Amino acid sequence: MDKYEQAFNDIIERDSKIEPRDWMPEKYRANLKRQISQHAHSEIIGMQPEGNWLLRAPSLRSKQVLLAKIQDEAGHGLYLYSVAETLGVSRQEMNEQLHSGQAKYSSIFNYPTITWADMGAVGWLVDGAAIVNQVSLQRTSYGPYARGMVRICKEESFHQRQGFEIMVQMANGTPEQKEMAQDALNRFWEPSLMMFGPHDSDSAHTSQSMKWKIKRETNDNLRQKFIDKTIPQIEFLGLELPDSRIKWNEDTGHYDHPPYNWDEFWNVVNGNGPCNTERLDHHKKAHHDNAWVREAAYQYAQKTDISAVAQ
Amino acid sequence: MIELLKYKNITMEKGDKVWEVFLQKKAGLSFKHVGSVHAYDKKMAIQNARDLYTRRSEGREIWVVETEHIVSVPLGQADAYFDPSDDKPYRHASFYEIPEGVENI
Amino acid sequence: MGILIKNKEAQFLIRLTDTEIILGQRLAEMCSNGPFLEEDIAMSNLSLDLFGRGEELLKIISTIEGGEFSADDYAYRRNEREYYNIKLVEQPNEDFAWVMAKQYLHDVYMERIYTQLLESNNAEVSGLAEKVLKEIQYSLTHSKDWILRLGIGTNESNSRLQVAMNHLWKYVQELFLFDDLDNEFLVDTESITKDWNSEIESTFKEANLKVPENVHYDIRDYRKGFHSEHLGLILATMQFLPRAYPDAKW
Repeated sequence: MDKYEQAFNDIIERDSKIEPRDWMPEKYRANLKRQISQHAHSEIIGMQPEGNWLLRAPSLRSKQVLLAKIQDEAGHGLYLYSVAETLGVSRQEMNEQLHSGQAKYSSIFNYPTITWADMGAVGWLVDGAAIVNQVSLQRTSYGPYARGMVRICKEESFHQRQGFEIMVQMANGTPEQKEMAQDALNRFWEPSLMMFGPHDSDSAHTSQSMKWKIKRETNDNLRQKFIDKTIPQIEFLGLELPDSRIKWNEDTGHYDHPPYNWDEFWNVVNGNGPCNTERLDHHKKAHHDNAWVREAAYQYAQKTDISAVAQ
Repeated sequence: MIELLKYKNITMEKGDKVWEVFLQKKAGLSFKHVGSVHAYDKKMAIQNARDLYTRRSEGREIWVVETEHIVSVPLGQADAYFDPSDDKPYRHASFYEIPEGVENI
Repeated sequence: MGILIKNKEAQFLIRLTDTEIILGQRLAEMCSNGPFLEEDIAMSNLSLDLFGRGEELLKIISTIEGGEFSADDYAYRRNEREYYNIKLVEQPNEDFAWVMAKQYLHDVYMERIYTQLLESNNAEVSGLAEKVLKEIQYSLTHSKDWILRLGIGTNESNSRLQVAMNHLWKYVQELFLFDDLDNEFLVDTESITKDWNSEIESTFKEANLKVPENVHYDIRDYRKGFHSEHLGLILATMQFLPRAYPDAKW
């Protein structure tokens, strides 16, 4: 075995980090590029369903908090694009993959945010699910990705609190507010669980990802963690469980959950969710409508010699 | 650090450049590499770096350098550059015996 | 809900507050619509600074007015004729040139205003001005850079920026029709006009832009709560939830 391959295997075995300069199997590199760029795309597309309520936030505080959260998401996308670039792919290429449909993003963002209570549900459930996943990724084997995740996790904690604060306020508010909160929970519950991906047995990438310590825990494990954390929070809010069949299992020490609607999951992943087209159209439009701005920035740099332009 | 070779084969939008960002949190501390930003020129690069990496008061000084200008050691030469100097122990203070009772050395 | 502002100092400050809040709201529209992500972050930073500033000013105003209304009351329950922002910031984000044109014109003006507020007799106001100036200077650097980039960049960017300036220019006039209230709380309004004119002249020259002709427009003054048609729509969006659910706490 080649000494570089040996070095790679040793690093993985020892739970140390692979850095951009190191040798890595082509499949490891490809797997990471896919996962990291899709993670980045998710953050960016996620700005849209939340941006939808930004202009209508009902208080100065909630508006500023929501704006700061969305801004953080743009920032997280940027950290992740930056990490992906260390593996040899450019922002432009990743953009093209997103636009062509070749690259995916978290399917939760293909659902619409139709009431203000959705801002609560999204922050609490969607960011909550993301946190469970991201905490686990802090131990991923690729150095820049792990460092990016540590940074993201530090910033992410307020996101979930922001959402939960809205849920608390509405669950304890007027009957109309409480109804809105319950409705948001009902609509976002299962799509949030789907954020952890398919069942381990149906996941094409999981076993190789686990072997290379890209992924540290399986989809089903993470999903169960999230459910166990969140059910008590629903009870604290005084809201009804989104499915009355969810029950605490004394023997396993976990909550049992009725079967998921995997047909919906695959259908949405394949492009037939409520907002798939809208999310991509919006992203493409912003990019293309502003091409003249980027061209101007390029020409300005050339003309004024502020910095020499790369050849 | 990023190997220069990688960028030669990558399609970037015209004029768009990547810059590495270094942050000094407080006076007296070293600069630390925190990641990269895209920008078209130096003014934009510094502003983008500030907006992305110092939202939570993480810095007092920022350096940005075009990624292209970073020089690093290619993988093939890593051994030659970084072999541990275990065979040169005289570079470490622990190699030397100082008699008891001698101070300030 | 008729929210009257009785105290003169509050009446002066509300003009700044409303301007910052409406501009903040317009900038928030740019979320996920910028030319590239880093600029998205830059614009949301500006928006956050503006809302933060607006909220601080509303708290000061609330104190001056005896605490009868909260900052949210002022923001969410005053109607179109009770808002006192400059019309410039109500104008739409037709394209990125419009966004930066409005921002730049606003920043040059506000930098002078807040500099003069450092001399305010109200310690809270002068304290806020000191903090705000740092944000404004950063914003001004950023917006001026874009005026130059777009003015000098390409024929297309230059012409889009010129079109934006030509449209926005009729809202510049009222900025300098300083009244007694302005002259009571600002140190030297004449110098604001002079400084603004000289800054605009020099930047436009550098950016290959023509300063639009100073025509006399018959447009009612923002100081009396007169607006363009855009404000109604901005408020309808911004104030919708508290007005739709008046008994709810938000």
